[in-house]
Amino acid sequence: MRYAVFVLFLCFMITGCATTNLPPVTKDSKFEEDEKRLWLRSEEEQKALNRSGIIYRDEDLDAYLNGIARKLQPPEVYARIPFQVNVIKNNLLNAFAYPNGAIYVHTGILARMDNEAQLATLLAHEMTHATHRHMIEQFRDVKNKTAFLATLQVTTAGLGGYGSLAILLGTIGTVAAVTGYSREHEAEADREGFRLMLNAGYDPTEAPKLFLHLKKEVEEEKTKEPFFFGTHPRLTDRVENYETLLKTHSQGHQESIQNTEIFLGKIRRVILDNARDDLKAGRFKIAERGVEKYSKIESESAEAYCLLGDIRHQRGEVNDVETAKDHYQRAISINSSYPDSHKGIGLIHYKRKEKTLAKKALELYLSLSPQASDRAFIEEYIHQCQEGGKE
Amino acid sequence: MKKSLLVIVLLLIGCAPWVQVGGLYKMESHNYSVELPQGWMRWNKGDQLLITRDGVPLQNIQIIRRNIEEPLKYTKRKLSKTMLPQEAAEVILDNVASNKDISDFGLVENTPLRVSGISGFKAIYSYKTKDGLKVKSVYCGFIQDQWFYGINYNAPERHYFDKDITTFENVLESFKLIKTA
Repeated sequence: MRYAVFVLFLCFMITGCATTNLPPVTKDSKFEEDEKRLWLRSEEEQKALNRSGIIYRDEDLDAYLNGIARKLQPPEVYARIPFQVNVIKNNLLNAFAYPNGAIYVHTGILARMDNEAQLATLLAHEMTHATHRHMIEQFRDVKNKTAFLATLQVTTAGLGGYGSLAILLGTIGTVAAVTGYSREHEAEADREGFRLMLNAGYDPTEAPKLFLHLKKEVEEEKTKEPFFFGTHPRLTDRVENYETLLKTHSQGHQESIQNTEIFLGKIRRVILDNARDDLKAGRFKIAERGVEKYSKIESESAEAYCLLGDIRHQRGEVNDVETAKDHYQRAISINSSYPDSHKGIGLIHYKRKEKTLAKKALELYLSLSPQASDRAFIEEYIHQCQEGGKE
Repeated sequence: MKKSLLVIVLLLIGCAPWVQVGGLYKMESHNYSVELPQGWMRWNKGDQLLITRDGVPLQNIQIIRRNIEEPLKYTKRKLSKTMLPQEAAEVILDNVASNKDISDFGLVENTPLRVSGISGFKAIYSYKTKDGLKVKSVYCGFIQDQWFYGINYNAPERHYFDKDITTFENVLESFKLIKTA
């Protein structure tokens, strides 16, 4: 672990020494051999990532995200870099771009956004890394390329519980997602990204807000995530840069698109799915915040109330079980055929040895969800209820 | 001088407290007894009893008793006294899957199981080690009062897992709590 930290430190040192300056990509840009190889490698890593099963599949959402990306870049840049935005099903605060324009946004960061302007800020930042060729600039600044890539592969081994995710991202993906680029490159991505979102008519005051939210959350929850947008110093840099840009570059700006409703409508499923992942990871407060956000979009959702019930039931603090029961009952009153609410109520009765009530609710759960993955457990509980004993 | 120091260190490492086992083994301090397979080697490490025949990487069975208040190593989630077997299984499996040293975790099966007459779970899963070796595991566990008991078998999926699964099942079958509430 110490070795990996040292290697990571070394990478930061190396990336901090960026000096090569290449012009941004235009329709006439010609790439040299090393840059072509970097693209090829990116494509290979991207293919492996897309096959890995961690991609969040939602065609409507993909079309929406790619539509926003198209608004940010002129067609001639798109002709040279075919940007493609994808979503990764993972609750960490992360987004990154490969040099060939493949952009990946984690459900974790997407679920924290409030509107389209914040999404545009993030996408424009990531797109700039590709258009301004930051990866090849960084690569050319290192004398021993082979050693550099090998070193980064070792680095992925030191990412704690996130190591397996880093393996899926590949070497280039990990550079983009974990170590990030030099401060100069990141500042350039902030600057150029801000210009792009401003030109597309988005509300510039939203640019720093996303990073402020994330910074606040990292501070409140004391989360320790290894990825770029989950680390406190990097978020502080983003907030400071965007606030400065806001003061100096947005004077006289007329348009202020936020598209909050459209945005929240498109990502509402992501918010709920991500909250479920947060619950699975024991991040109760964050999960509850996610469901509450979802409930503001979809106020009468049995699924959301049931998930709130699960969060309280699993957290198990004072009064949590009673609150969980209320949530499950509310879910049933909204949609009595949603199976999991009956399971939640049934398990509460089962734990309280209220066997008749437990049996009834659990049987109803199984009848509504005959293929339930936990069927064997539920049948065992029903069997226990039938065995008699005191209630 | 350096050479003799090295020899001493190697000897000390070689003297790890491995003991040959076979037959009934009572762990009174941890409130359980179990029949251990003949010819295997045992190592008691804190709350953990570890046995292997050919070496830990080739096959091992671990029996652990831990206080449910004690935080788990890799997951933020906690066990609790009131948890049902299915809920305890979810926490234990999340702990396994969150281990930094493994990848490609895949759950094969998670079903209820009675161990020593107490409702518990039996989970079968596989994962890859840092060296790329695919390992298959069976993890059986249950909660009794403030204690979580886990009986776990790990072996490389290819060749070794099948070889000793019956031995593990015999160990599991023989596991008994000495005193029950």
